[in-house]
Amino acid sequence: MDCLYEACPIPLLKTMQSLKVLNQGDVLIVETDHSCAIKNIAEWVGKQKLPCEIIEVSNGEWEIYIRKER
Amino acid sequence: MKSKIIIGPWSYLTGAILLAVLNTLLFAALHTPWQITTGITYWAAWIFKFLGGAPENWHYFANNASKSEGLSQSFLSNSLSLMNFGVIFGALLAVLIASQFKVKKIKSPKQIFAALLGGIIMGYGTRIALGCNIGAFFSAIPSLSVSGWVWGISAFIGAWVGSKLLIKYLL
Repeated sequence: MDCLYEACPIPLLKTMQSLKVLNQGDVLIVETDHSCAIKNIAEWVGKQKLPCEIIEVSNGEWEIYIRKER
Repeated sequence: MKSKIIIGPWSYLTGAILLAVLNTLLFAALHTPWQITTGITYWAAWIFKFLGGAPENWHYFANNASKSEGLSQSFLSNSLSLMNFGVIFGALLAVLIASQFKVKKIKSPKQIFAALLGGIIMGYGTRIALGCNIGAFFSAIPSLSVSGWVWGISAFIGAWVGSKLLIKYLL
């Protein structure tokens, strides 16, 4: 999911929306360049008890991997 | 450990303690707590003055002697203006040290429209509320000012309405 150049809280809200429609077992990849997004998305995903991994793909650009386990 | 400090993100608690300590030091040094938008108002007024306008006739300055004093100062002599340069310079330095600096593109015309509209509403709002979330809230509450709490409650309601609009129009 492309969230580049989007500011808070758009990336988090889009993540919430996308996860809702995904099937169990799917992996959502959120692309963002907003440093707050890696904090608030990881926090929210943690509260949903879902695994999530953040990779800094280049300077100031991240990919957040979220697996919809349940 | 080193990368955790430089790259972050820091916890809310760390941020809160640092902000409290720094704002106290600022107050001790300048006898005014941290504020942002009054400085930005001066920026606008000085630019307007430079272009031949008369900001001293604005209702905002004409009715407030302590504020209109700043009109005769400049970008580098006014402490509130310097504070804002400090915020921008500090943020730039932090992002460069963390090597996260990036020039962001504009994604859609909607983003430009939303940014301009938001800027105008915020700018106008801070002048009639006499401050933004820093000056009228973050700095007002530790000064034991009731206005800070009134500001906080109003902002809470405003943010609730704003988030509804955001979900409807920007998502």
